[in-house]
Amino acid sequence: MKRHPSKRSVIIASLLASAIVVAIPTQPQIGALRHAHARTLHGAIAAMAPAGIDPVEQRTEAAPQAKPPVSEAPAPQPRARDAGNGKPGPGKVPVQPNPSGSKPKASNPSSGSSAGQAKPNASSGASPATPKPVPPPSPAAQGNDQPAGPESWGYTRKTAKLRIRVIDGRTKEPIDGAEVVLIETEQRFKTDAQGFTPWFDAPVIRNPKYRPMVAELHGQLGAIAYKDGYRDSIHLGIRVHEGIRQQTTIWMYKIGPADRRIEPVLYQEPYHHLWLIQLADKFRSHTQPGEGPERP
Amino acid sequence: MTRVQRTISLLCASCGFAAIAPILPAPRVEAAQTIYNTSPPSVIRVAIRENNASGEPDPRGRIIYVEAVPFATYCEDVLPNEWFPSWHPEALKAGAMAVKMFAWYHHLHPVTIDGFTFDVDNTTNFQHFQEMSSQPTTNAAFQAIQKLAYTKPNGEIVELNYSAGYENDPNWQYRNAQKMAQWGSEYWARKGQSYLQILQFYYQNRALMRLQ
Repeated sequence: MKRHPSKRSVIIASLLASAIVVAIPTQPQIGALRHAHARTLHGAIAAMAPAGIDPVEQRTEAAPQAKPPVSEAPAPQPRARDAGNGKPGPGKVPVQPNPSGSKPKASNPSSGSSAGQAKPNASSGASPATPKPVPPPSPAAQGNDQPAGPESWGYTRKTAKLRIRVIDGRTKEPIDGAEVVLIETEQRFKTDAQGFTPWFDAPVIRNPKYRPMVAELHGQLGAIAYKDGYRDSIHLGIRVHEGIRQQTTIWMYKIGPADRRIEPVLYQEPYHHLWLIQLADKFRSHTQPGEGPERP
Repeated sequence: MTRVQRTISLLCASCGFAAIAPILPAPRVEAAQTIYNTSPPSVIRVAIRENNASGEPDPRGRIIYVEAVPFATYCEDVLPNEWFPSWHPEALKAGAMAVKMFAWYHHLHPVTIDGFTFDVDNTTNFQHFQEMSSQPTTNAAFQAIQKLAYTKPNGEIVELNYSAGYENDPNWQYRNAQKMAQWGSEYWARKGQSYLQILQFYYQNRALMRLQ
């Protein structure tokens, strides 16, 4: 009995493997020119969610800008829960991470057009994880029709009106002239005598890692407050709901003579507990029900 | 047993009960607390519990101190943590009423734990209170119902309980339990119901009262 393959079978297998490798397209746009659905999905993160969660309003917004290519496949219907939350689907082509801080070039991220399409991690050479410190234009300057960042990172076109109040954590008196930086957009604001920043357009950013599991019910933002004589305060997880006015408070602590190791103070705002209840219910099994499903 | 023996045994039993009567606790006599014989609280005592490792108040944590918070401020700092500020204004008003009446009832029924006497704590044991977390939308809802109360028809102040419920569902089972479903309030508000209709759906035999 032969225990090893012959030379001829090894050569044939190698040739077959090479042919298969060559047949795999390295430039998906070329191979996908004739397939609208392939173009739409190119560059999307497959693990995000099915393509059918595009909110209706975003599709209608996108329609007048550029006609999507005609496809034989019927348009996917948005799911009720996701449509209400206004989240983009991965069917959209993610916009360039945009390290230069300028407005993303993709004129219509949801149209699926391959012309002018920005690929992630392409051409600019800069890593998306290390953007330049140049502040990008605010969402208000960009207009509300464009997200402040790549949609695959959770950015949406929706914004909320937000203002941040800075107070002294011990006396609870407002702090005038503190500088507040919104981390996600790198916008800077000064507080007034009441400790408030002006109202500004804040992007609604939902954590994309949760989208396949349970729709996140609010976005989250981070801000840092600076003031001479105070510890820096980092405030993460500011809850943001699109379309309403919201405010949050940053507590700052004065640096005293006994403070030897001076480091920033972190405050992490928790998720809303209604969302946590939904999240826990989502994965509950019959064999290990824990506290059991939500009930009166 | 003859009649005489029966009488004697009854007498003995009566004497025995009379002897132990001072030991037994007296039945509690409580007058109903109504909106007519109590005034709306101006301050509520909030027990602040220890945070857990991730920095959130722990419902089983040690009580650190008790803080006196203005009642209106307390309600405004609870509502956005119990209802979503982006919900329909009528759902927020229904929530504001539930938050207020829950707090009012517990203000009238304080508890003492670990030597601290308080009305509510800052966790979901009572209502999730987070200082300075009020939002414009929820404040507006609270202002709208501030001069109103939802009580028994005779004005008796009762605890209006509520719980999360299920999204996009009328949550009938919560009505059976005489609790408001938070998601249910949003569901009915989106269906066009007013906050009073939502309250009437979940709490039966109650009345909306105007405070003097």
